[in-house]
Amino acid sequence: MKAFFTALGNLFSKPATVKYPFEPTYKPDDFRGLIAHNPDLCIWCRRCEMACPPGSIIFSQTMDGKQAYHYNRALCIYCGECVRSCPKDGAIIQTATPGHPALKEENINNGWKVIVDEALKGRAAYSAEKKRQAAAKAAEEGDKKSE
Amino acid sequence: MATQYDIPVGAQHISLLEPLHFKLTTENEKIVDVEANVGYVHRGIEKACTSIFKFRQVSFVVGRVCGLCSISHTTAYSQVAEKLINIEIPLRAKYLRMLVIELDRIHSHLLCLSHVAENSGFEALFMQTMRDRELSMELLESVCGNRVQYDYSIVGGVARDLRPDVATDIRTKLALLKPKVDAIMDVFENNYTLSLKNKKVGFLSKEDAMKYNAVGPLARATGLAIDVRNETEDLLPWKQVGYEMITDTRGDVWARNLVRLKELYVSFKIIDNILNGLPEGAILTETKALPEGEAVVRLEAPRGELFYYAKGNKTQTLERLKIKAPTFSNIPSFVETFKGNEYGSAPAIIGSFDPCLSCTAR
Repeated sequence: MKAFFTALGNLFSKPATVKYPFEPTYKPDDFRGLIAHNPDLCIWCRRCEMACPPGSIIFSQTMDGKQAYHYNRALCIYCGECVRSCPKDGAIIQTATPGHPALKEENINNGWKVIVDEALKGRAAYSAEKKRQAAAKAAEEGDKKSE
Repeated sequence: MATQYDIPVGAQHISLLEPLHFKLTTENEKIVDVEANVGYVHRGIEKACTSIFKFRQVSFVVGRVCGLCSISHTTAYSQVAEKLINIEIPLRAKYLRMLVIELDRIHSHLLCLSHVAENSGFEALFMQTMRDRELSMELLESVCGNRVQYDYSIVGGVARDLRPDVATDIRTKLALLKPKVDAIMDVFENNYTLSLKNKKVGFLSKEDAMKYNAVGPLARATGLAIDVRNETEDLLPWKQVGYEMITDTRGDVWARNLVRLKELYVSFKIIDNILNGLPEGAILTETKALPEGEAVVRLEAPRGELFYYAKGNKTQTLERLKIKAPTFSNIPSFVETFKGNEYGSAPAIIGSFDPCLSCTAR
C-alpha cells in the first residue's frame, strides 16, 4: 500500500535527470579545465614542460632564440602540475573552461607529433649553433691570448 | 552422479561491469566448482611507472589505475614516495587526504550497493541508489575539481586547499544525503523480495575468510575484524577523526550490503569530524630530494587493503613499483564463496564482491 502511494507521488515529482544539452550540468567554480599561457609574463624556463606527466606542453625555438608555447588539450590530463611548477605567478594558469572535442581538420594526434618533432629539432639546432658560436669565440680569444 | 555442465560467466557478461571470467561447473543448477581468470585488462602500468615517468609524475599515472578508488591509489603512492624521500607532510594535508578518501568510499560503496540491487533483479533500487550517489560525486568534483580523476594527493601533500564555501557545501549535501541513505538502508534491511535473493546466499565463513586471506567488506561481513584504518596510525590519523570498525557475523550477500551501508555512516561521521577539526597550516612540503631505498605502504581502499611497494635508486625514475589491489587478495575467497549456491544467484554474488578488475590487472 505504501509502495502504491510512493509510485503515485512519483508521477508528480520533478525528474531526477537534467536535460543536458539545453541545461548546464553541475560544474564547480574552480573546475580543472584548459591550461592558458601568457607569453608576456613567461620567463621561458620550460619547467612546465618538464613537469607535465603526459607531455602535452612543448616549447619550440627558432634560430634567433625566440621560443613559442605549444599545448595539446587532447593529451592534457588537467592535473595542474604545470601551474604548480611555474616560478612566475600568472604565466601559466588553469582556467575553468572544459576542453572541447577536437575536429578532424585540427589533426590533433598526428599534427601534435609533427609539432613535437619540429620543436625538438629546432631546439637541438639552436643549441648546436650556440655551442658552435661559443667554441668559435673561445678559439678567437685563445688566438688573441697566444698572440 | 548427475551430469556436470561448465557455464562461462564473462569476460563479457550482462551482469558484469568489468572483464572478469568465471568458469562455473554446475550440477543440477548448483555450483560445484569455479575457475577464475582476471588478466583481461593488463595495461603495463607498473612498467610505465618505472620507465617513462619521473617519480613525481607517477602519482598521476597510478590515479588512472582505477576510476573508483583513484584517490586510494594516488594517496598510497604519495605515501610510499614520501617514505623514500624521507619527508613528513603537514597535518592539514593528511586531514584533506582522509576527507577525499572517505568521500570516495561513499560513492564507491553506493555504486556497489546499486549493482547488487540490479544483479538481484531490483532495478528501481539501482536507479534510486545511483541517483543519490550523484550528490557524493558532485562533492568530489567541488573538492578536487574533477569528477573521476581526482589527482588530489601529490608527493609532499595535496594539490589544492579546501575553500570555506566548499566545506559548507559538503555539510549541506551530506545532510541531504543522510536521509536518502536511511531510505536505502531500510530497503536493503527489510525488503522481503530482496532478502530472498540475498539472505543465506554467497556464504563465506569466518574460518574460510581467514584461510583464503579475505580483505575489506567481504572479510568484515564474516566477523573478521580486519581494517588497515584500525591498524596503522603513523601515516593517516584515523582514530583521531573517529574511525569505528563495522563487522557482521552472517557472511552472506545481505551482511555485505549492511556492512557497506553502516560504513557509510562511519564515513559521514569522519567527514564531519574532519571539517570541524581541520588544522590550519600548509598543504604541501616542498623538497628536491630523490627517492632512495625501499618502502611499503598499506591503505584501506573502499574494497580492502591496498598495498604499495617502491624501490628507488637516487634517480628521477623509480627502480620498481608493485601494486597489490584488494580484489587480487580476494579472488581465492570469491572462488570459495560461489560453491554450493544456485547458478541463478551468481550475478548477485559477483555484485556483492565489488570486484575491480582494472586495479587487479593494472
